[in-house]
Amino acid sequence: MEPIPAKRRKIEHPRKGAEKALSSAPPTALSRSRAFILEADELLEEIRLDYGTTLEGVDGLLHKIKGSIEAIDSHDSISLVEASSKLEKKHLIRVPEPRPQPNSNYKVAFAQPAQFNVVGSYVSKTMVKTQKGHGVDMVVVMPASIFQEKDYLDMRYFYKRAYYLAVITASLQKDLEGVADLSYELLNGNPLCPVLSVRPKPTAGAEPETTRLDYRIRIIPCAPIDFFPKTKLHLGAALLRTGQEEDAERTEPTPFYNSTLVAEGSFLAYLRLLRQAEKKCPAFKNACILGRVWLQQRGLGGDVSEGGFGHFEWAVLLAILLQGGDNGGHATLSTSLSSTQLFKAFIQFLSVTNFTEKPCVLGQGKGDIDPDADAGPVIYDSVRHLNIAFKMGSWSATLIHHHAKWTRSLLNDKAADQFAPTFILKADHPMHNFDLVARLEYDNAYDGASGTDRRGKFWSFGDKIYRVLRRALGDKELGERARLIHIQVPRFSAWPLTKSHGTQEKPVLEIGVLFDPVNMARRVDRGPADGLNAEEVEECESFREFWGEKSELRRFEADSTRETLIWDSTAPFNLCEEIMRYILALHLRVGQTGKNLAFFGNGFTPLLPFKTSDLGVYNAARKDFSTFERDVRDLEDLPLHVRQIAPVCPELRHTSVKPPSSGDSKSGPRPMETVISFEASGKWPESLEAIQRTKIAFLLMIGSLLEKSKPGHIKTHIGLEDVKSETENLAFLDVTYASGASFRLRIHSDLEETLLERQVKDRTLEQHDRTAATTLLATFRRIYTLLPLHGQMIFTFVTRFPALSPAIRLLKHWFNAHKLSSHFTEEFLELAVLHVFLLPYPWDAPSSASTGFLRTLLFLANWDWRAEPLILDTAGDMQATERAAIGTRFEAWRKIDPSMNHTVLFVATAGQDPSGVGYTALNGEAKPSKVVAARMTALAKSACRVIKEEGVSLDPRRLFVPSLRDYDVLIRLNTRIAKSTLKTYITDDPEEAAPVGRSKFKNLDGRTGQDALPLAQHPVEVFLRQLNEAYSGPLLFFHGAADDAIIGAIWNPQMQKRSFRINLPTSYKPASGSNGDEEGEKDGVVEVNREAILAEIARIGADLVEKIDVKGAQ
Amino acid sequence: MPSCPPTLGDFSVLPISIPPLPSFPRAVVHYVYVRRNAPKIPTANDSRSLFLTNVPVDSTERHLRGLFAALVGTGRFEGVTFEDERKNTNSPAALQPAEVARLLAQNKKRKREEEDSERAKEDVAAQLPKTWTRPLRGSGSTAVVLLADEKSAEQVLKAIAKLHKSKKYPTWGENVGDQVPRLGSTWLKAHNRLSYPDKDVLQSALDAFSVVFARREREAIETAKRLRSQPDEDGFVTVTRGGRNAPARSSEAEEARKKMLERAEKKKEELTDFYRFQHRERKKEEQAELLQRFEEDRQKLASMRQQRGKFVPEA
Repeated sequence: MEPIPAKRRKIEHPRKGAEKALSSAPPTALSRSRAFILEADELLEEIRLDYGTTLEGVDGLLHKIKGSIEAIDSHDSISLVEASSKLEKKHLIRVPEPRPQPNSNYKVAFAQPAQFNVVGSYVSKTMVKTQKGHGVDMVVVMPASIFQEKDYLDMRYFYKRAYYLAVITASLQKDLEGVADLSYELLNGNPLCPVLSVRPKPTAGAEPETTRLDYRIRIIPCAPIDFFPKTKLHLGAALLRTGQEEDAERTEPTPFYNSTLVAEGSFLAYLRLLRQAEKKCPAFKNACILGRVWLQQRGLGGDVSEGGFGHFEWAVLLAILLQGGDNGGHATLSTSLSSTQLFKAFIQFLSVTNFTEKPCVLGQGKGDIDPDADAGPVIYDSVRHLNIAFKMGSWSATLIHHHAKWTRSLLNDKAADQFAPTFILKADHPMHNFDLVARLEYDNAYDGASGTDRRGKFWSFGDKIYRVLRRALGDKELGERARLIHIQVPRFSAWPLTKSHGTQEKPVLEIGVLFDPVNMARRVDRGPADGLNAEEVEECESFREFWGEKSELRRFEADSTRETLIWDSTAPFNLCEEIMRYILALHLRVGQTGKNLAFFGNGFTPLLPFKTSDLGVYNAARKDFSTFERDVRDLEDLPLHVRQIAPVCPELRHTSVKPPSSGDSKSGPRPMETVISFEASGKWPESLEAIQRTKIAFLLMIGSLLEKSKPGHIKTHIGLEDVKSETENLAFLDVTYASGASFRLRIHSDLEETLLERQVKDRTLEQHDRTAATTLLATFRRIYTLLPLHGQMIFTFVTRFPALSPAIRLLKHWFNAHKLSSHFTEEFLELAVLHVFLLPYPWDAPSSASTGFLRTLLFLANWDWRAEPLILDTAGDMQATERAAIGTRFEAWRKIDPSMNHTVLFVATAGQDPSGVGYTALNGEAKPSKVVAARMTALAKSACRVIKEEGVSLDPRRLFVPSLRDYDVLIRLNTRIAKSTLKTYITDDPEEAAPVGRSKFKNLDGRTGQDALPLAQHPVEVFLRQLNEAYSGPLLFFHGAADDAIIGAIWNPQMQKRSFRINLPTSYKPASGSNGDEEGEKDGVVEVNREAILAEIARIGADLVEKIDVKGAQ
Repeated sequence: MPSCPPTLGDFSVLPISIPPLPSFPRAVVHYVYVRRNAPKIPTANDSRSLFLTNVPVDSTERHLRGLFAALVGTGRFEGVTFEDERKNTNSPAALQPAEVARLLAQNKKRKREEEDSERAKEDVAAQLPKTWTRPLRGSGSTAVVLLADEKSAEQVLKAIAKLHKSKKYPTWGENVGDQVPRLGSTWLKAHNRLSYPDKDVLQSALDAFSVVFARREREAIETAKRLRSQPDEDGFVTVTRGGRNAPARSSEAEEARKKMLERAEKKKEELTDFYRFQHRERKKEEQAELLQRFEEDRQKLASMRQQRGKFVPEA
């Protein structure tokens, strides 16, 4: 072998400096995930409970309880009726018997508990500050002596357990009087297992300590270990009688009852399992805390009503995965992983395992799971013979599966902020989670539907609904309409000792549906084909059986005859409602009156006149545009070859609040804006002014050519822009078709950009000229480069996400309603919504307008625009370096301009505008300014608060009510006059004609038969612009859409009294303040002459302004 | 009505009472501040003109004429120049091909008077039609009023001083009547109409412009030529573009530069990782960068920690 050449050996040098430090850093290469680890550590630090101070006195209380229980006298078996009446008489305590009431007189007894133990998160120290209720679980193991082996049958065990609990309660009530409040509650909402809750009273006299936590101790009686034969308690066993009679058959399997019994006997086994895991894996506890936060933020918990998967289930499952079964099997997870790694791995596990579809068996034993048994979600711990998921419903298993999938894709997304959506954001609001929420008032008539399994009638009924809906909306053959169906059952609250059982809050079931936006819009369902062979016949039979009369045979193309369902509604929401109403009424006789079944989530649609025909209108506008494009391209005598005609207005990308209207009789045509660019040419003159003039000549030429090419069909007008200097774009061409469509054309000249660039760089020019050139260049790039690209991009996404267009329109409507839209570019609003679709975490991309809109509000409320740029990866291939460059640019802006006078919102897209200011600046000014951006955040925050407080029953109109009280001045416009300004005629000078009045006779009216001029700009917008130009200093105006009849304004608080000088920024009057006139005279102090300014506005507006209201006046 | 000081600095305070309107039914006083005109560069008319600041936004010549008539009687007022008209850069008079503008700046020459006036005429012809019947003045802006003679100016200032004693303030918009274009909806409608000028008018403005522009360009070339051959007072000849060969267009030059850069870029790319040490150094740099980013993350975290609430899950 050759010796290693010298050059190569060099690499083997000892590592030093940077390399060494790097290797000691956490073992991850990516910046994002590193940040995630650091942030998660910080979170753990922040929410850790200080057990010493906050839970002081718990141990003392526990000892006291133990002592009290140990002092209870045992007694031999007496009949339950006798015993409970004795308790009631002596201690005023009812036995919390689970329902149904026992129908035979069982014998009950009391003996000393076999064992006491404190279990749960108190001992493992995994409680956190932010959890909902802090509970310390104390397990009291009942002695085997008071039970018989057959007690596992027919709830006998549970009656005895209830009595045992009542006896303990009686004793504690005596011993803890004045120290603690006692009440009954259900263990995890399981109606079979009442427990006693001991809530310590604040010590009388002592100051209310803020550090002490409001906790409760739950006393949980449980079965002696391994008392009941596990083999008899398998999931398929039927242990309950179906009827009330003694001799009724036990036929239906009772998986929930059986699993509860197993769980009763395995508290200590699981305690042991968790202790082992804690010992073996140092990061186990923290991983559990992370899991607890993750579950809690998604509204998931151990309670049956919260989905039945909480911290305990998380910890146990994780422990089993770390252990890998007792029989020497390989551990799934390594104990040397860190807490975040464990968390990620576990999320991965949850996202690939669907407990509902396939039972998940852990450990070596096969488990005695009958694959056909319909036991719901199964996570079978074969060592302890327990289905850990026994409290879960199929829906909660699906929900957790989806949440895990979403979180996993978040954790794989290097671009997104991984931490906040995973742990900080609350993602349990039904209106954020689901596209449709239905509320079903439970009627006692449904009682018959509940099965024998003792999970409570609401749950059983919910399960029935779920199965029906799952088949109706989630049929894979037809094409899944719903991605997710969720049932929220009412939860049980605690109840006083004097009652035997609690009541559920309100008998209302909430059904949430998450759409598949494409399939949900389907109006015709094609079922199985009608055929002759047995299989086909059977399929059709079952289809007809399920869908009832709605199913009919129809013939389709290719000669196939199929069972078919035809629905009447058109919009996805209405379709879903129709189907749900039909199928629930058919199978469960629900909601036939329409009164006890209410639907929510569609409330936003009537706010905007959303019509299903809107899509057609938009498409028609696109089609008109392509006609226009072809007409221009077909012109033969143009001196330059047309390269591109690009639309730059929201109407042509499906995002305008109102769909484009062609041929509105009340107003002149409102042209849709487009930009035309030609092949590169050396013929443009080398002067900005001359280029602008050449463009006008060009437009004149295009206009006359167009009119000639289609005489009678096309009318063109050259319009002048309202500009200040000759170097800006001076004119546009409005092309109106006889059909009503109209377009506005502006010419892109590439030389203009070059000249402007040169001016910006030219150091010999004066500073203000260079600033002006910079502004012009930004405007140029915006109109001719950014907007065409943006339009293209949004249009692509609108076709990809059906819910995007309505969500954008809703958001724009919201900005209009709150008079913010005059301060924002429409493109920014579109990007804000698009952001929620592209980075939808912690959810998936919204599938309806309302979820898209509500989540956008949530985003706007949470976006800290002072410290974070908004970066959109529209092409999906943004490089990390590019992202970093944008971040650097953002920081540079903040450093240059820390008070945010020029750059406020920073929005960058990779392909369109990496500069970050193209969308949020207009004519050299920040759009919006800092004040307005802060107002946007405040309004979004309060909207989110309302949404949260009101829940499902929110009246969506409330979000759109502007608060006019916030403005100092309200300028109320006369809507009638405003409308009259929409039509002008070339022959008709408003100056002369107006006072005379129009001729009564149509045929004498010069305007008859003449077409109105297009609107160069909406007159109200022109008015607002003039006001803004005249009073940009003292007043800040707020206005919504063009037809908004009220302009709000606030005074600039920074314009106070000042000393007099020549160039005052606005109208001032000599100050006559409280300091007296003398002083004012001496210093020559002046103050803003507010009344004179308002009087000026009244004069400018003349008949257009109906009234000017001043805050505080009258 | 609050009393106000008769003067502020060297300005006389001229209060004007504004009649109430139905939409804003309050009687208001607007204050205009007046003094003798004393611009930095004196002109012949300075003695008979007055400098006004804080004129109302809806001021027109008519309005001011009425105002001065109320103060000192008719026949004294000659004209007014508003702030936005004075520093008017709108006219194509400022138009120069950029190259020439710079050359001329070095070599300013006074033009002859008559030539100037003829050119002014051409410039007016080249201007685009106006789109506003009545432009607004900026709030708090200034104006210069030209009066008949010096005495009138004196009288105006005296009349203003007297106002403060009599408290009979002149009314805004008196004696104006229908002679000014109206504001409000009429104004907005007229604007929309004026925004769409007649095509022939537009075409003639364009033609006039191209005449002006062609002449300017010609002049520019001549000036450049002249400069090329004329030594200045120190005996130096300015070197300008355009020798024997025609000058390169700047756009061509830019393109050539772009091409050159591209070529350089390509060459550079070919040579990266050519040697082993390059590869190693690059690796080293990457690692250093990674380390730096780690450090940045830590700092960011520290700053996040300072804003409390970032790490507490929402309730």
